[in-house]
Amino acid sequence: MNKIEIRKLRFHYSAGEEILSDISLDFDARSTAIIGQNGAGKTTFVKLLKGLLQPVSGDVLIDGINTRDMTVAGLARHVGLVFQNPNDQIFKNKVLDEVMFGPSNIGQSPDEARASALAALQMVGLADKQAENPYDLSLSERKLISIASIVAMHTDIIIFDEPTIAQDHAGKERIKAIIRELAKQGKLVLTIIHDMDFVAETFERTLVFAEGKVLLDGPTREVYGLPGILKQSHLEPPHITQLYNRIGCQGAVLTVEEFIAARRAGTGRPPVSA
Amino acid sequence: MKALSLYQDRGTVVHRVDSRSKLLYILSAILIPAVLPGFMPGLAMLALSILILATGKVFGKVLPLVGFSLLILASIVLIQGLFYSGNKQLLFSLWRFGFYREGLLFSGGICLRVMNILCAVSILVLTTRPSDLIESLVRLGLSPHLGYVLSSVLQIIPQMTATMETITDAQRSRGMETEGTLLVRMKAFLPLIGPVVMNSLVSTRERSLALEVRAFSARSKKTFLNPPQGGTANTVIPLVLLLAMAAAIVWRVMQ
Repeated sequence: MNKIEIRKLRFHYSAGEEILSDISLDFDARSTAIIGQNGAGKTTFVKLLKGLLQPVSGDVLIDGINTRDMTVAGLARHVGLVFQNPNDQIFKNKVLDEVMFGPSNIGQSPDEARASALAALQMVGLADKQAENPYDLSLSERKLISIASIVAMHTDIIIFDEPTIAQDHAGKERIKAIIRELAKQGKLVLTIIHDMDFVAETFERTLVFAEGKVLLDGPTREVYGLPGILKQSHLEPPHITQLYNRIGCQGAVLTVEEFIAARRAGTGRPPVSA
Repeated sequence: MKALSLYQDRGTVVHRVDSRSKLLYILSAILIPAVLPGFMPGLAMLALSILILATGKVFGKVLPLVGFSLLILASIVLIQGLFYSGNKQLLFSLWRFGFYREGLLFSGGICLRVMNILCAVSILVLTTRPSDLIESLVRLGLSPHLGYVLSSVLQIIPQMTATMETITDAQRSRGMETEGTLLVRMKAFLPLIGPVVMNSLVSTRERSLALEVRAFSARSKKTFLNPPQGGTANTVIPLVLLLAMAAAIVWRVMQ
């Protein structure tokens, strides 16, 4: 079953200035990246999925539930959204309490919430910081706390808005592992992101938004194999793909490992599967 | 970003007059009718203000302000007309209530004064960019620190409203109900206000650092970003206003 179904979705803040026009899409359990220039409508799109905004026309169905029929707080059991700026949500003075806030809100008992929170903190690698004040931690750690506080809610769908902001290499690797783990658990992971290398290494499916429309939609390798259309929406393929093409090879390699494998094999064609 | 201001960018001749002249105009619009006896000076001043507002293409924006104050003014007319202590000459009666000439004249005077102040201040507020106003106040000798405080207040309120919206969204996304009974709303208060306070504390520190690295508290004499608005109009207008005020006072003293 599709986790999210979007039917003829249109949205604008003020009439005549269409932000999203006539989008129909399905999301299954494949981890999906949403890329596109600033102002392409990506954040508006995920706010509609979360019920924070209501469509002007068309419908958004989350696990079969129309977002028009449920409050945002009610939808929180089904969809988790990690906001871009962790400072917009953190208010407790203990990391553990902060992470337990979401699970407690959606009906987990205090013991369950504590267990979920601890497991989520373990996942983001901050289990040893559970008693600290979030504001004594660095921005990248606070970002991980905001991720943990959504993961602990055990929602079937998790949306990240720019998860790699302020992260060093280790942080990015950590987030990559989290996304893969969540996908392995059968959850749908959706991510708005500008980091093309990260997309290539992490996501199975990629959507390209441009001017309120879905310009491209397909497996990440296919999308990055179309540099012409990417350029049209002011995007570039990942660096390793660009390098591969500039040395004269055809096709899209997505990771350094694939690049090396393809070069060693001496073929100009990309490997069949990732 | 939206700023907290009623400024209307219409680019008319009124907009080009500097804020010093407009400040002096407010002073004259209050002082002259107060010094001179009778209704005529007040009415004349009001007519002049309306003419200026119309020239500045902002007259329509004054009407809601006037409408709001009419509510209060109507109650003044009612109370003074009925109960003014000097009431003698009955003008007319509605049902069992008598309205008196003295009370109505007295309240008429108050209304005229209020409308005068309202229109004169509107000229300044509607046709002057707040930052220009603050800059010219600093030029007149206001401390730059106070000027900065004033302009940041104008920016910070819309900014905080926007932050508040994002925070509300973030907490609703975590399953927190924000709509409903008083108890629900009270429970929602802390998660919403906490990040606002923390964010403003953090950004205040960042802002003051950013100001300091640009030598905000340097003691040397500062120059201004914009050249002072010159032109004959900006010398003639203050002069005429000052002369008119002086003339009104002198005339009154001679009487």
